Amino acid sequence: MVQVVFSPKWFWGKDIFIDSIALLVLLSIAIFATKYYKIKKSKNYLYLALSFYLIALSFFSKILINFTIYSQVLHTQMIGSIEYTQVILKSSEILSVIGLFFYRLFTLLGLFMLYSIYEKQSKANIILMIYFIIISIFFSKEEYYIFYLTSLIFLGVISNRYYQNYKKNKEKTSGLLAASFSVITLSQIFFMFVNFTKHFYVIGEVIQLIGYITLLVTFITVLKHGREENKSRHH
Amino acid sequence: MEGKRTRVDIIEDMLSSIISKGGRIKPTHLMYKSNMSHGQMKTYLDDLVQKELVKKVKEGHYDYVIITDKGHEFAQKLKQMREFEKAFGL
Repeated sequence: MVQVVFSPKWFWGKDIFIDSIALLVLLSIAIFATKYYKIKKSKNYLYLALSFYLIALSFFSKILINFTIYSQVLHTQMIGSIEYTQVILKSSEILSVIGLFFYRLFTLLGLFMLYSIYEKQSKANIILMIYFIIISIFFSKEEYYIFYLTSLIFLGVISNRYYQNYKKNKEKTSGLLAASFSVITLSQIFFMFVNFTKHFYVIGEVIQLIGYITLLVTFITVLKHGREENKSRHH
Repeated sequence: MEGKRTRVDIIEDMLSSIISKGGRIKPTHLMYKSNMSHGQMKTYLDDLVQKELVKKVKEGHYDYVIITDKGHEFAQKLKQMREFEKAFGL
């Protein structure tokens, strides 16, 4: 049987809230990158926007799956019919399997696209990587941790890239960005071991929240810094 | 700035030059401060006027280029874009 619920029951809804924050942060950055792409017509901006849209879409899929499962199971409990609960869970499971597939696909494609901005890929490499992403998603159906391991590797490489960028330019925003991606990378380690105890899911979600809040702070600092510099030039 | 300047780089330099002079500059000063040729300057200035980012005014015997509110907003957006580029290493 495919595992569809990773969260302990007392955490239901709270994880949806955390994922919604991540979704909003990702969407904000994607929208700004799109605006900048329209000004500069640089492909890097386009890929950055697309990768953030893809990861945002993956969070949207996850929120949708969890919301459906949690609300249906809770609804069943209120009615109190065991037979009805079984039917609902079966339909939820089908939805979850499809939803999980898209959640994982969008996440890994988004991370790969983000990685490709910094490490230019040949067409052959892109095909090969997409093949490996699909294979890893396929195996994640039975062994869910494969997905988190793959995203851990992608995020680790991207975080390292951002850290190298920070070492080079010593900019506060670069440092914040490297920190936020490193924290998000760390959260994947806890998600990998959810089967040992569901509390790891809670720890992973909380760490992920810290990562996305740091990413939001980075983004706000970028916007504020641009404004301040302009003001100081004006006076 | 390394390498050849892009169109956006040139516009950013022009707007920054005007802002650094308090929002008002003589066209010749703008040309030198933005490191442009006369032909380049004319093309870009006409473009900025058309997009209402700057306007040309005559005060006494002199012509001036003045940045508009829209120009200020655009310059700010460009600054934010630079910060974004630096942060993400684009």
